Order: sequence, then structure tokens, then C-alpha cells
Amino acid sequence: MSDATQASLDTDRLVPVTVLTGFLGAGKTTLLNHILTAEHGRKYAVVVNEFGELGVDNDLVVDADEEVFEMNNGCICCTVRGDLIRILGNLMKRRGRFDGIIVETTGLADPAPVAQTFFVDEDVRGKTRLDAVVTVVDAYNVLQTLEDSTEAVNQIAFADVIILNKTDLVDEVALASIESRIRAINGVARLHRAQRGDVALSDVLDQGGFDLQRALQQAPHFLEETEHHHEEDVTSMSFVVEEPLDAAKFQAWIGALLQEQGADILRAKGILNYRGEPQRFAFQAVHMMADGGFIGPWKTDETPQSRLVFIGRNLNRPQLRRGFESCRAR
Amino acid sequence: MNTTMPETLLQRRGATRTLQAHVTGCVISRDSQQVAFVTGEGDIVLAPRADWGQADAWQVMTIHDGAILSVAPDAGPGGFLTGGDDNALRRVAADGSVSDLVKGRRWIEHVTTWTNPRDATKGGVIAFAAGKNVELRDASGANTLKTLEHPSTVSGIAFDAKGKRIAASHYNGATMWFVQARVDTPRLLEWKGSHIGIAIHPEGEALVTSMQESELHGWRLSDGHNMRMSGYPSKVQSMAFTRNGKWLVTSGADVVVMWPFFGGGPMGKAPAELGGVPGVPCTRVATHPVHDIVAAGFADGTVLIADSAAQKILPVCTAGGGPVSALTFSEDGCALAFGTEEGRIAIVDLSAR
Repeated sequence: MSDATQASLDTDRLVPVTVLTGFLGAGKTTLLNHILTAEHGRKYAVVVNEFGELGVDNDLVVDADEEVFEMNNGCICCTVRGDLIRILGNLMKRRGRFDGIIVETTGLADPAPVAQTFFVDEDVRGKTRLDAVVTVVDAYNVLQTLEDSTEAVNQIAFADVIILNKTDLVDEVALASIESRIRAINGVARLHRAQRGDVALSDVLDQGGFDLQRALQQAPHFLEETEHHHEEDVTSMSFVVEEPLDAAKFQAWIGALLQEQGADILRAKGILNYRGEPQRFAFQAVHMMADGGFIGPWKTDETPQSRLVFIGRNLNRPQLRRGFESCRAR
Repeated sequence: MNTTMPETLLQRRGATRTLQAHVTGCVISRDSQQVAFVTGEGDIVLAPRADWGQADAWQVMTIHDGAILSVAPDAGPGGFLTGGDDNALRRVAADGSVSDLVKGRRWIEHVTTWTNPRDATKGGVIAFAAGKNVELRDASGANTLKTLEHPSTVSGIAFDAKGKRIAASHYNGATMWFVQARVDTPRLLEWKGSHIGIAIHPEGEALVTSMQESELHGWRLSDGHNMRMSGYPSKVQSMAFTRNGKWLVTSGADVVVMWPFFGGGPMGKAPAELGGVPGVPCTRVATHPVHDIVAAGFADGTVLIADSAAQKILPVCTAGGGPVSALTFSEDGCALAFGTEEGRIAIVDLSAR
């Protein structure tokens, strides 16, 4: 696990990368152009796939083929975007030409390989940081799309930020039900409504979605009233343990859990209270790849407690709760 | 400061200056008369032999709109070819004049040339990679000989010593092609994973690729036998065979790693290691064209040369200027040139005085 203190010191010089996902027609490119043309005084490099819907309005646009490959590291779900490793490495050879990088994926792309690229490659980690996965959702079509496509579910499940676009095409009642459906899949992401991609830049950029310092900074939104007539394929679950944890027990449990169920666990995040440790320990995982470190003491108004969130398939709530609780220090 | 005897080769017989740019490559023309450094800002720095000792005389020109990603000596005796993220391949002649060879739709990430070792004015082939394709052109650069398609983006290209074959690395292996074949029958060398660089043994005995998983993969070309060379703490960004093919010299560890390609090696043999800087990764290596000498550059800017037989190490320059990102010997062996991520460029004159 990395040294979080060092990581936080270095974070400032790392170029932030925002990953923009969403189904074909959801309005990714419109949102992208909105970001690029806004008055923010920042310059972005944009990596797009070849089959983009619209032209991208930017000086520096790189065409990419999404080349996903499997790492030979014994981890079955560890797939990585090789083209991104190459492109980011080359972009970083330019000095001060841009303040951030935005990667637009194809409509059907699974966000996992993009995220895992930032866990796996030492050179990518040395110069850039994954800021957030932003998923654009078309309010008019989303419910149908979720029925038809695992990829759409994955894109919502993976997101740090969800832009619910085209809200003008849907009435308030429908919007509420769409939002509750999205929340059932991903209870952690920030959700913003938009029309023609008109979101505030502060809602999309600089989100720190993979920043341990900011892990679970925003309280998860979980719908406790479980009146879903719909059995979700992907769900979010959060757990709290009030008593301090034993660090070794937690590491052993989470390690084994990710090894066994990592293929089903899309994302996991946690803030942990280890016994005898004044600092908070932050943890995150994408499938089987995990990362963690101490992120400073508890704030004065905070009650030290351990919180853990999973987003994934086939999550067994009682089993996860028992497992998490078994990590209590005695 | 009261200096007595300068310590390093650079101080004794070299010249250096600092650019405000990431040095992405340096090469020396085939006639060994000119050094070129290229940068992430689209600049080329030209240093003719007469000026090797005077860094302020080196000429800087901006020749690409964006980063220069690849550079090679031209197929002829003088001049260079550069490929950029502006999708252009340009020729810089010995007199510094610049012309366009290609303006395409993809980054030109790799360029290499082959020339007749007996006479650089005769024949010669230019190869460059853009996306999944490798295009071969004659030495004039004007005529396309063929375009070779690969299943995924090409991550490295290399000619064999005789210029008969060219190999490209990509996902799940490497492909070898005959340059002059009328009908292409590529030889696919398969190994699952992402291959990120390539080298061919000077006698054509083996082909080696660098892999994303911080190891090397090799194929013995006589029978396709697989070789794995592992144990690196980081990716191997740079590798070169020694002139006689006895050793494959690589970066990727805090020592210079040398795999023996003799006596049955590298299978079942441990690599030799040349001491570097403890804890500091080696980032670039180069092999001398005449003698058994290797050069290595490190992540702290240190450069050294070593006699691969006697294992004597001579410092070229001490730490500074960021990680070494480019390193090369001239074909006559009389010069060593290098550059760093933070813009240090240098030429050391190794000729007998």
C-alpha cells in the first residue's frame, strides 16, 4: 500500500485526468464541448475515440483506439488500457501545455480498464492522477438502456459523478424515479441534473474521486426505504463499525474478499478507524486492485468510526457485515 | 572554486547546456558528423562535429507543432528524420533545411532507418509507425514501398542488421516482415500481453520485446523457442545488444542488467550486473559500435560508461537535470550524446587525442 502522506504532497504536481463515460447519444460530446469552451482559463488535452458523435472543440485532440489488454499478473479481471499508457506518457512530454486531460470513452466502454490503468502503471501514476469517472446519462432513455445493457449499469456503478442530462425531456415524477434507480445502483456518486450538458464546471472537474484524502468525503446517499419493485443487478452497500478495527484483521479480510469476489466488486471505498492509531486510514479498490494509506487525524467534530462502501454484483449484505464486524479489535 | 583536476568525462571532454524542455531523443548522423537532440516542445538542436565542444554554438529550431516523439538518423550519410504528435514526419538535412515527408492522421511514434553498412549512399530504407501501420519508404522518402498492418498499435520497430527484415512489437507479440518480399508472409511471434519495445540480435539469432509486466520476452528465431527474462523492479524502457550480440544490455533496475546471449543463454542464466547508483533506476542504455563498452543513464541524471568485459566503470556526469531520457553513441564510436527530462543536453568527445 502506498504512503498516503507522500502521495498527498505529490498530488499537486500530478496532472488530473477526468474520464467521461456514457452511452451513445447521452450527450458526452456536448458536455465535453461545454467544459472546453467555458471561461476557466485552463487548457485541456482531450483523448477521444475514433467514432465520436460530434467534433470536439479543442486545440489538442488525440484520437485513440481503445486497446484493452489483460495483465499477466494472475488477476483475472485486471484489464488495462494500453493505448492510454502510451498516450498519457507522450502527452506528459510537453511542458505546461495543459492543466488537465479529459478522456472520452466509447458508449459501450467498461470504465474498469481505464481506472485500473491508473493503479497498474508506474509511469502513469508518476505523472498523472485519475480525478474522477464522470458518467453522462440520458434521462429520456436511461431506464430502457439499463434494461438492455450491462455496460450502462457498469458506467453508473463506476461513476464518481453522474450527470443526468436531457432533464427537459422528462417530467419531475419521472426524474425522481430515475434518480432513485441510479441511487440504488450507485449510492456514493454525486448526481447533477443538466440540459444540453450545462453543468457547473466545479461539479465535473477537480472531484478527487480517487483521492484517498477525499474518499467518502461526501456521505453516501443510500435509499433505506427498499421499496424497489426492481431487483437491481448492481447495488451499493455501506457498513459502519463503531468500535476500532484491528488493522491486520482488516487487511486480511479485505484482501481475501477482493481476491474471491473482486470480479463482482466494481468499486469499494472506506475510511477506517484502526485501534491505537490517531490517523484515519483511507482505502479504495477497483475490482481486485486496492490502494490505501493514512490521511491524517480525525477532525474534532468527527466521531472515529469505520465506514465501508461496496458497489457491485452479487453482494451479500449479511456476509459482508459479518466480515467487516469480525475485524473489530478485541 | 579552486578546481584542480576535473572529475568526470563530461567536464574533461564534453560540453553541455540546458533547454526548457523534455529531451525525447538524441541521435547522431550516420557519418558521425552531427548530433541531434529533439524535445517535447517540438524543437531540434543540431550540433555539428566542429562545435561539439561549444554548447552555445548549437543551433535550435522549432520543427514540429507539438512534441517530437521519435527521431532517427536519415538513411543517407547526413541528416535526420523526426516524427511528432502533430502527425508529421519531417526530414532535417545536414544543412538544417527542413522538409515534410508525411502529414498523416496519427502520431508518428516510431521512426527508424536502415542503410547499407558498406556504403551509406546506396540503398537504404525508412520505416515509421503511425497507429497500427508501419510504412516502409525508399531512402528518398518519397516512394512508399509498402504499408504493413498490425492487429493493434505498434509500440516499437527494428530492422535486422542486414536490412532484410523489419519487426514490430504490439499486443500479444511481435511480427516480422521481409522488407523486399513481393508477397508478404509475416511471421507472427505470439506471447500474450502488451509488448512495449523491441530489439533484434545483430546476428539475427533472437528477437526480444519489453513487456508491460516489467520483464522481457524473447524468441529464438531459428525455432521460435520462447525466452523469459524477468526480475525487473520497473518497465524496461531501453535495451540494446552489444555489437557482437554477446550481451543484451537493459535499463529497468538500479544496476545495468546484461543478459548473456552465448553459451546457451539467456535461458537458465542469470544476467550480469554493472554497478549503477544504489536505489536509482537506470533509464537509458546504449552500446558502443566498435568496442565492448556500454553507456547507461539513470533517473537522477547520472551517466556512466563501463567496459562490459573488465567491468570498469567511468563516470560521464554526476546527478542533475532529471532522469536521463536519451542516450546514444556515434557510429564511429567517437561521441556519446545524452539528454534528460529536465532539458540537460550534452556531448562527450571520446576520440583519441
